[in-house]
Amino acid sequence: MSSQSLGKTFTAGLWDSNPVLRLLLGMCPTLAVTAAMKPALTMGLSVIFVLVCSNIVVSLMRNLLKPHLRILMFTLTIATFVTIADLYLKAFLPDMSAALGPYIPLIIVNCIIIGRAEACASKSGVLVSIVDALGMGAGFTLALCLLATIRELLATGKLFETPVMPSWFTPWAGMGMPVGAFVTLGLILALVSVITNKSKS
Amino acid sequence: MDTLHTLLLAFIGIVVVNNLVLTKFLGICPYLGVSGRIDMAFGMGCAVTFVVTLAGTLTWIIDHTFLIGTPLEVMRYLCFILVIAGAVQLVEMYLRKFFPSLYESFGIFLPLITTNCAILGLCLFLNLWEIKRLDEAVVLSAGAGIGFTLAICIMAGIRENMELADVPGPMRGAPITLITAGLLTLAFMGFAGMI
Amino acid sequence: MSNKIKFFFQESWLLMVSSVVFGLLLAITDAAWKPRIEQNTIDRFNRLAGGLLTEAERFESVAAEPLAIEIGGKEIPVDVKRGLDGSGQTAGWAFVCEGSGFADKIRLVVAVDAAFEKMAGFGVLFSNETPGFGDKINITPAAGGFYQPQFIGAPVGTLTLTKSGDAAVIDAEIVAISGATVSSQAVVTTLNAWMVPIKEKLKAEGLLK
Repeated sequence: MSSQSLGKTFTAGLWDSNPVLRLLLGMCPTLAVTAAMKPALTMGLSVIFVLVCSNIVVSLMRNLLKPHLRILMFTLTIATFVTIADLYLKAFLPDMSAALGPYIPLIIVNCIIIGRAEACASKSGVLVSIVDALGMGAGFTLALCLLATIRELLATGKLFETPVMPSWFTPWAGMGMPVGAFVTLGLILALVSVITNKSKS
Repeated sequence: MDTLHTLLLAFIGIVVVNNLVLTKFLGICPYLGVSGRIDMAFGMGCAVTFVVTLAGTLTWIIDHTFLIGTPLEVMRYLCFILVIAGAVQLVEMYLRKFFPSLYESFGIFLPLITTNCAILGLCLFLNLWEIKRLDEAVVLSAGAGIGFTLAICIMAGIRENMELADVPGPMRGAPITLITAGLLTLAFMGFAGMI
Repeated sequence: MSNKIKFFFQESWLLMVSSVVFGLLLAITDAAWKPRIEQNTIDRFNRLAGGLLTEAERFESVAAEPLAIEIGGKEIPVDVKRGLDGSGQTAGWAFVCEGSGFADKIRLVVAVDAAFEKMAGFGVLFSNETPGFGDKINITPAAGGFYQPQFIGAPVGTLTLTKSGDAAVIDAEIVAISGATVSSQAVVTTLNAWMVPIKEKLKAEGLLK
């Protein structure tokens, strides 16, 4: 496959079929871990790791898969890599592991990963699968960071736990609560649909 | 009497105070996607309640007999997801064979349930909260399903009426649903502190 | 019959092989990182408890098995740790306790002095209180917290919560965080439920004079 179409595969994940902003997949971590930048970034990177690994493995065994055992194999692969990611966080980033809690193991049921295994990796070669995983993962991470930037800035006046807002700023406590997550994401999605409608017409 | 008290508190806690959908963001995908009509939402809720009760109880038993305190703990996530996938399959086969009418009404949701984060989430929370008793685990599992049904039915009711409302163009669909969900979580916050 | 078995293996060999491979992969990762993960848990406790009991250099459990202590009518295993200073003398005691907060559980590390008479303070291991209100119980004295410093030097016994009072006076009266009475009460209730039974148990075991 030419490098141009590989590039296209990569950028598709960033905007045209961005998993969070366009396909509305993987909403649960998107809403749950975006109260601050650090957990959001950790989550994004973990998802990239799992997505790349599972796409590679699925792509390698795509010709051996039996149709009715397909989903089981996907789940098994994903669960293995999620466990590895979880152990890594527990060992080297214990604070993040505590902050993310059950949302790391919940990557197993993240529709993005099983969706990519089904739609891309089980049909295409290793290289394309890796690029696709990186694109989708990057798109997911970007969307998470966008949401987390807004929420952390407004909820605490900080970014990466460093104060950035002027002293007169009153933190919006609501932004740190579940309601902040839902409303911010709702407004971002509205903005996205305004932008896409404009570029269409 | 004391047991009943604990169980009742656990039940109310999981249904309204720590509602998985509205405070832990679990099972958001079907919550936003499927809940367009109340009867569909209720069917989905019933299917989830059924599977989550089964899966929660089974994973709790497996966790406590084989995993906790042994080196096998590293296999927890693998075990849980396989139990859930198996439970979903079993329920599907059982319903198709013995209750075809019931299967028709909510069987279509069953394959979706394997990747419903509310189910795996509940199993993980049972482990995280260090639930020590089987009856409490069963009550929490069933309560989680009922909480999910409650949330998804409320949402479906609101969305049925929203079809009649004049929503600004770009806000139609997912954005307005998310904002409605946000307001719902605010309402449910009123239950916090009850127990 | 042999056909059936053959069919079975044809269909599922990939599943079996990959299960073995994945299992090995997990076993290796786990073996490599497990010591670090266990150390992290201990470090976290030591950091919190050590910050409260500044003289203590290290912490060790008072008994090989956690003590079974009756709290609120239930027997709960508690791993009470003794903080030892440089010369091996008891500098204080520390333990983890748990209660229900506003929305979720709260888990606290509590430190008390060598005689189990006065608290050296508490730190929060886990809480999920409302941001901006209840989560103020998490703010450490060093970070300018209002709530936590009131416990440094507070007597071990029954603490009470008041809504108006002088937070600077260290006594059994704890002034609530405004807007977060339930969270403030949760900490006080948890401490009240745990501290005295643990003290009694330590006395009964002859670990504390």
